[in-house]
Order: sequence, then structure tokens, then C-alpha cells
Amino acid sequence: MRLVCIVCPNSCLLEVEKTDAGVKVTGNKCKRGITFAIEEVTAPKRSLTTTVRTVFENFPVAPVRTNGEIPKEKIPAVMAYLKTVVADKRYKAGDVICGNVLDTGVDIIITIDMDQEG
Amino acid sequence: MADYKAVVIGGGPAGLAAALAAADKGAGTLIIERENRLGGILKQCIHDGFGVIRFGEKLSGCEYAQRFIDKVKAHPGIEVRLLTFVIDIKKSDIFTITATSSRGIETITAENLIFANGCRERTARQVNIHGTRPAGVMTAGVAQNYVNLQGVLPGKRCVILGSGDIGLIMARRLTLEGARVLGVYEAKSTPSGLTRNIVQCLHDFDIPLHLSKTVKRVFGHGRLEAVEVCSVNDKMEYIDGTEEIIPCDTLIVSVGLIPENELAESLNIPLDPRTRGPFVDQNMMTLEDGVYSVGNCLHVHDLVDYVSETAETAGRAAAGSKAPRELLDIEQEGFLYLVPQKLDLDSLAPETVFYFRTAMPREAATLDVTVDGEVVFSKKYQNLKPPEMERVEVPLSPKKGQTVKFFLSGREVK
Amino acid sequence: MPDIKKIQKILKKNGFGNITVSEMLGGVRLTGELSSYEDILECGRLAVDKKNSRGVINDIKLTGFTPKPMRVPPVNDLAYDGRRPDVLIVGGGIVGSAIARELSKYDISVMLCEKEYDLAVAQSSRNDGMIHAGIDLKPNSIKVKYNMRGNKLYNTLSKELDVPISKVGQYVLFTSPWQKLVYPFVVARARKNDIPIRYVKQKELDAKVPGLKFRHGGMFFAGAGIVCPYLMTVALAECAVKNGAEVCLNTAVLDIEREGDRIVSVTTNRGRIYPKVVVNAAGIFSDVIAEKAGDRHFTIHPRKGVEAILDKKAAGITDSVLGRFALKTSTGKQHTKGGGIVRTIDGNILVGPNAIETPEREDDSTTCESLNEVLHKQQGLTSELKRSDIITYFAGTRAATYEEEFIVEKSPYVKNFVQAAGIQSPGITAAPAIAEDITAFCVQILSEGRKVEPKKNFDPYRKGITRVKELPPEERDALIKKNPDYGIIICRCEEVSKGEILDAIRAPIPATTIDAIKRRVRAGMGRCQGGFCSPIITRLIAEECGKSLLEVCKKGPGSELNVAYTKEVDYGGL
Repeated sequence: MRLVCIVCPNSCLLEVEKTDAGVKVTGNKCKRGITFAIEEVTAPKRSLTTTVRTVFENFPVAPVRTNGEIPKEKIPAVMAYLKTVVADKRYKAGDVICGNVLDTGVDIIITIDMDQEG
Repeated sequence: MADYKAVVIGGGPAGLAAALAAADKGAGTLIIERENRLGGILKQCIHDGFGVIRFGEKLSGCEYAQRFIDKVKAHPGIEVRLLTFVIDIKKSDIFTITATSSRGIETITAENLIFANGCRERTARQVNIHGTRPAGVMTAGVAQNYVNLQGVLPGKRCVILGSGDIGLIMARRLTLEGARVLGVYEAKSTPSGLTRNIVQCLHDFDIPLHLSKTVKRVFGHGRLEAVEVCSVNDKMEYIDGTEEIIPCDTLIVSVGLIPENELAESLNIPLDPRTRGPFVDQNMMTLEDGVYSVGNCLHVHDLVDYVSETAETAGRAAAGSKAPRELLDIEQEGFLYLVPQKLDLDSLAPETVFYFRTAMPREAATLDVTVDGEVVFSKKYQNLKPPEMERVEVPLSPKKGQTVKFFLSGREVK
Repeated sequence: MPDIKKIQKILKKNGFGNITVSEMLGGVRLTGELSSYEDILECGRLAVDKKNSRGVINDIKLTGFTPKPMRVPPVNDLAYDGRRPDVLIVGGGIVGSAIARELSKYDISVMLCEKEYDLAVAQSSRNDGMIHAGIDLKPNSIKVKYNMRGNKLYNTLSKELDVPISKVGQYVLFTSPWQKLVYPFVVARARKNDIPIRYVKQKELDAKVPGLKFRHGGMFFAGAGIVCPYLMTVALAECAVKNGAEVCLNTAVLDIEREGDRIVSVTTNRGRIYPKVVVNAAGIFSDVIAEKAGDRHFTIHPRKGVEAILDKKAAGITDSVLGRFALKTSTGKQHTKGGGIVRTIDGNILVGPNAIETPEREDDSTTCESLNEVLHKQQGLTSELKRSDIITYFAGTRAATYEEEFIVEKSPYVKNFVQAAGIQSPGITAAPAIAEDITAFCVQILSEGRKVEPKKNFDPYRKGITRVKELPPEERDALIKKNPDYGIIICRCEEVSKGEILDAIRAPIPATTIDAIKRRVRAGMGRCQGGFCSPIITRLIAEECGKSLLEVCKKGPGSELNVAYTKEVDYGGL
């Protein structure tokens, strides 16, 4: 099957073949493409970027992201969970606001210094 | 004596990188930013994919900007003026900038100017959308601002026109926040955005992409009630009988970015009609000595990493001493555009970095660079697409009077 | 009295024998049904008899067509219930607003109700802002009378109300060599109306207008000028408010109740009002209001026009007004407005309008075809006009009567009803003059009950919002030192400061929507069309008015910009 690698903006067109020996990948410009292809056909993962609410009027929402990838099918559950998370202090970019979100082994980190005007 | 060696207009990714590079070289540098925070449009780009080339990491736009902002704030050689807006620039032997801010009207003098003031979005009306003027029709950037900065959702049922990256990213973003994205419509026969965004923004969320279709009219008085979509042929003409009404309350248009060069134009700096930004040499200096242009006001980039790179080139040059230039035109064929369009023979490095977009999708393409007809450089590409900008380093050392030509060839993909 | 038989004959001769003609309120009423709207219009035109009839009441039905009901704001409260003003003005366009100001010169209570969220939302903003010289108007017509008086009044009004005007003059180009021969006749007509006119050689035109395609010279009318029509409307209304008048927005007249030959009350969506006098300044709905009041002796047949707005970069096309000379046919069957190219007071080029008859009164949608028509026609004038310079376009409907004439009168049938109806071009110019006469009528009626005196402390002045961008640097600096908000630019294309936007929100008639602010201070009117500033302005409105972001509207209620807070809803996306 054909897949487009989404690891980086190069968007390599990958040819993925399932054989007895495992998964064979061609078309990748770097080795991250192989990992991506294998995961994509077995257990697809995505990083998630969104916002969380804050208690600050001039900074109503703060941007966050997963600091690794989570199973694709868990995105709705993580989004639902993040509805309940509120940033109640002025976090810095990189600070963890929510560790090991929904037992994915991945943290939710703030991606901006919140000590600025909104 | 000017107040600053370099004044950078715009505190987005281009301006930040240019200022850092200039100040690192010892230039007294000022950043003038019209908004209340540095970072430019990256402030609202909460999605990731930034910095893969530069940092080897997939950062969000905010994080990418933050890395530069931190450095700028810590740099003793850089001053920043926020909520400050340039209203006039006059040129004599130095540049006199008049700016307005809550402090009043100030004049600032600069030896060198770096334009880093970005681009604006093409609007619905500028792509010939007719009908009424209800609430709910907005550009992707406006929607992004509402959702990512203000925490509000601009609509429940959204149609997106334009498959550029911002449109695709917003399709995902709105979906994640609970809105229903009914489809992305693209007048061209090929998507405009990066393929990875088609996959992770549309396919992942089962959002249909309709190619060769556009929005023709909008309906509704107070709030948008529906849009009329219509197929178009390859000349972008409507095909009668293909009209379809789609009930929705939001139309997001992501139909292209236009470099903002009103200030540059006020200095009579010539613009390249292909990029809609100024003609520049390899130092990103425009045809006006001492004036540089970087980032999306030079040409619209798809990767911020390259914005930073070119901005640094300009910043370094602006920190140097002024010298007369010997400019050579570069001829080009087969490109949507090629930057730089000129070479300053007096400041050539062994290798010169070029950025280009192909005029059309190509397979098995070749870039040939000739000097007086002789091929001095050649590079092969499997695939080239207009939405994807390429970067290439070319060893070039032509002499005055020689003809330098960039030539792109290869099978056109229909 | 109209000669019904004669009109019946004319209609029959033209193939409309199935149309019934009758007399109504001194006018000619047509009833029946036709399947073509063009035919209905034709019947209306044929039934015109200015000498003997008060007007054509064209009630011919269009087969299978039901016009959309008037848009009424989704507001229902009793905000104005039980109020008893001396005068109630229906309609907040330039005519209604000018009347409000004129009335506020007297010691009477004045209310103005406008069904839209702001003043000048219909015709009064959807026009080219010309102060007409009056050249294409018939001598001795009502239009020319008010136009010439209005044109003069503008000079004072501009100063009193702090609304800039510019008497830039108008060039009318000859499109063929033989048109020159008509010049003496035009001069004679102009003299009758006291209109300054002069012949212009091609050489002068070429120096003035680059890329002219017509090469036969033209005429120049120094009396023509430009004004921002919605700014003038707001200024008139604000001055009225300053002098005690009350402006009620989002207030639509639903019904008018009469006892005998007098109006006793007016029912709105915001309560029942009991005025002593009712003024009809309802523009495109003026015949509907006339009907409710009991004196509908005319018909409004909406005539739509489209205009394109060009980037200020294209301002070099002209610094005044350009049009082409056209001889009107005496039958007047095709009432086409020539349109032209106007440089607005703000430095944008306006192209258009065209003229299309439509049965829908509130059809302000544009079409590709219509924009192309406007553009192509004016591209015939100058080669400098480029499609790529268009930043936006808009449409509006004009309140045309079959007589193509203004109605400015005290109703002979309803004793406390006064009409300023059928006002279309040159309504902007004429409005201040119309207001004088309407006010006289109102005072006359009110004087039957009590003595009406001029207000001693009437203040004719009103200060507009300072356009910071246009101040000399020293003055601008001084202003910012006093109020730092004037230094912060929110709309970058038009260089509009935060201070100006706050001024608009805090004005006597507060502008609390994106579009109302746009009309007051031009924020969002530039080449990015609000792409950068609209989210910031949304927030400013919310903060300043104590509203949530979800309550901020583009226009009136029902045009909210955002539907929910993020993280709180699920419309089925995920």
C-alpha cells in the first residue's frame, strides 16, 4: 500500500509491503519514514496540539501539545479530558501541565511563556 | 550617525531571526512590532511541525517563536518596541522612520532597514465570491485567532475554501474543538497544502477534499446560512449546472497570502510580480541600498525554518559595512519564482542559497544552472510541486557581463 | 383627478388589457396579474400622469412570486412602549436623520426609529457619496429643487457637523464627436438651474485623468462634491441626539393605528408608541409605511445597483468624479443610471453603480455578472481601471417611484402624517433641504395643538471622531500624550487607532458592532478587509460593552461572530 509520510514536511511517498519477514518500506528519504510506516500500518500514532483554558482574562487559552505521540484513536478521549484542565498559573513553554495523560505515557506541555499579554 | 545600525520592522519569526543575526554581529538593533507581543503570526500557530530542519524537533509555532523571543529578550544589543506602528519612512543618507505608539510620535533613524512585516490573507471577495455579507465568512487567520488566542469557536458547521496549509490546519483545529467541517473545497485540480497536512488534518478526521470546486456565492443576512459551490474547469471558469447549495454557518477562506509591501512601495522599491515581494540579491538586500526584505513579505514561505535562515542572512549583511554593489540579473525559466533574483558579485560566498517553486507539478525534474550557456550546476528532483518550496545551494562565481540562467525542466504531471 | 379611462386605453394599446385601473387616494391603482416583472414595471411606467395623478399604485401581482417579508430584527421587548413623542420619524437613513436634527431645533420631543442595528444601513451607505451638481435633473422638478438647496446647505453642514466634504467637481465626458453639438443646450439647462458649467478640452482631461479612452472633450461641473454619506447620516443623528432627540435602533414599525383621519399609535417590535406626528422616511419601505398610515399613493419599485471599491493604490485614476454624457430618451423606458468613477472622500476609487430592477426590496446581494457589467462599462472610460485593484463590492436597492420623483408632503388624507418618500439619487444631496420642509410641515401640524417655539439652546455643532492619521505629526503627538490610545494602531490598512475605535463605541449613538465601527472610523475597510483587526475589535467591543465574546455581532442581533467557547461544545466534529 501507499502512504504519505507525515513525520516532516517532506511528505515522502512511501510504498509499504507486508511480507512474512515483516513490513518492507521504500520511498523514504530518511529512516524515520520506516518507523512511521510500520507504526501507521500496525498502530497509528499522532501528536496532538490544542489549547487549555486558563484563569487569566488577558490570556484565555494557552497552547499545549503532547510531548510525544499518542495512539490516534485516543485523540477524542484526550481532547475530552483536556476540557477539564485549567492553567491556573503562568506556565513557561515546556512546562508539563498534565503528566502521563490518560496513561498514554505522554505528557501535555505548555508551548508558550504565559507571562505575556494575551 | 543613525540611532541604530539596523531597524527591523516586524517582530515575527523573520524579524526575530534578522535582529538576532544583526546584533550577534555587533549591530545596534531595534525591532519595531505593531502588536503587543513578539512572535507574529506564530502566536496563533499552535500546531506542530515547526523547526524540523532547524532544531530537528517538531515544535509548535508558539514554541518555535519562543526560542527566538527568549534570545532576543536576553540580547543586550537588541531593543524592542511593542505596539509601535511605522507610519512613514524617509530616505536620505540614512533612513528616518516615523512611528506611532502610546508614547507619541517618534522618529528613529537607521543605517539599514530590514522589512519583516509578513503577509496578509486574500479575502473571500478577492476571489470573486458573491452574494450577501453575513457574519460567518472569514479568513483562516481570523478563525485561527478566535479559536487559538481568544478561545471561542466561530461556527458549528464549516465549509473551508482553499486547501492551503492554513485551511487544512484549521479544518483539524475546528474539528478538535467540536465544530463539524463539512468539506474542504479547492478550485485547482491539485491540493495547495503539504501532503502530510492532507493526511493528518483531513484523512484522519474523515473530512472530504473536493478538488476543482469552488465557492461561488454565500447566502444569509445576519449569519451565513449556506454556500453555493460549483465545479470549475482548468481555466477556473464555472461549469454551469454543477452548482450545489450547502447549508452551513461558517465559510473559512484560505485562498492565498499576499506579501505586504506598502512600506517598501512607499520607498519606490521595485517588486517582483512573481513573488509580489521586492527583488533581492543573495543578501536579501532589495534594489534600494541598505533596505532588506525577509520572511513572508519577501515571498510566501511554507516552512518557517527557511524564513529564519534568510532573515539571518539579511541580518548579518545589515550588520556589515555598506559597500557599493555590482548586481547581476539571474535569468530563469520553468519556475513559479526564484529567490534571490539578483547576485551581488562583490559579496559572493562560495555557495549561494536559492529558494524556488516550480511553475507546475513535475516528475523527474532537473535544475540546471548555466553561466554563459555552460552548465555549472545540476540537480535532479523526483517530484516537484508548486506548493512545496525547494532550497538549493549553488556554487556560483560569475563575472560581470556574464549571463547566469536557472532552468527547470522535467515531465509535467497533470 | 387622474383620467382612469385614458390610462386604461394606454395600457390596452400596449397589450395590458387585462389590467384593472382604478382611482385611489388621488392616484392610479393598477391591479391584476402578470407573469413578467418587466411587464409589471412597464404598466407602472405607462400609468404615470404627473399632472393629474398623485402617483401610480402598482398592485399588479407577479405570477408565482411572493416577496420576502420585511426583515424585522429578532428583538421583542417593551423598551419604548407607551412613549408619547411629538414626532416619530420612521427610518434612520440620511433623510430621517436630517429631519431629526432639523426637528431638534424646536422645543418638541423627537423619536427616530430604525429597524436596522445602525443608521445608514440601506441606501444611505450603499451609494457613491456624491454631492450632486444637479445637471441630469429636470428643471422645475422636485428633485432639482431639493438638490440645489441641499448642495448649498452642505457647506455649512460640513462645518457644523465636522464631516469633511470636498467640492471636487465632476467631469462628464463626451463619448462621440457629435455630442459636443449638444453643449449649448446643456449650458442653457444648467443656467436654468443655476449650475456652474464649463467646457473642458481633451488636453485638460488628459492632464487630469490618465488613460482616458474617450477623446472628444467634455464638461466640468464645479458644483459637484463628495461626502462620506454614512458619516454624514450618523453626524446628523448624533447632533439631533445631542439636542434631545432619541434614536431607537433595532426598532421596526409593524403597524400603524388610526382613528378617523389621524394616526393614534405606532406598533413596533419594542412596544407601542403614541406620537402626535408621524414622519415617513422609510426609504425602500416608504410605500409600505404609507400603506400602514393610510396614504399610499405611490409605489416603490426597487432598483438595485452594484459598486466596486478599489484599493487606495488605484487612487491615481481620478481625484474627482468621472462620468460619461448620455442623452436620456424621452420615453424613459430604460431608466439606467450611467454610473461612473468616483474618488471617495477617503481616497478609494468607487466604480459603478448599474441599475437593475428587482421585486425584492432588501436584496443587497451581488452577482458575478453584475460586478462584471459595472467593471466592463467603466473600463470603457479609462484603461487604468484594473480588476486586481478591487478590494470589495456591495449592492443596494434604490427607492424609485414610477414618477421617478421625490415625495415631500403633508398628507391630505391623514392629518398627522408627513412623507419624505421615494427618495433615491440625489437623496444624499437633497436630504438636508428635504428636512427643512418636512420640519415645517411637522411644526405646522403640532402648532394646531400648542405653540411650537424654536429651542433656545439648540447646538448646531457636533464633533466627529478625530481621524488621528490625518493630523500633522505635532498635533498627533500632542493628542497621544493626552490619550495614549490614539497612538496604538488597531487597523493597520487604514491606520485606525484604538482611541478612535473606543470613541466610536462610546459615541452618542454607540457603535457596538464590527460593521458599525467600520462605518464610523474605517477600521476593517482597507485591503485586508478586517483580517487582522476584526478579532481585536471583537474583544474591544466585548470589554467596553461588558459583553461576552459570544455576544459581539458583525451587524445586528443574529449576526454573532462566534457560537461558543471552545471546549464546551460538540457539534459532531470528532
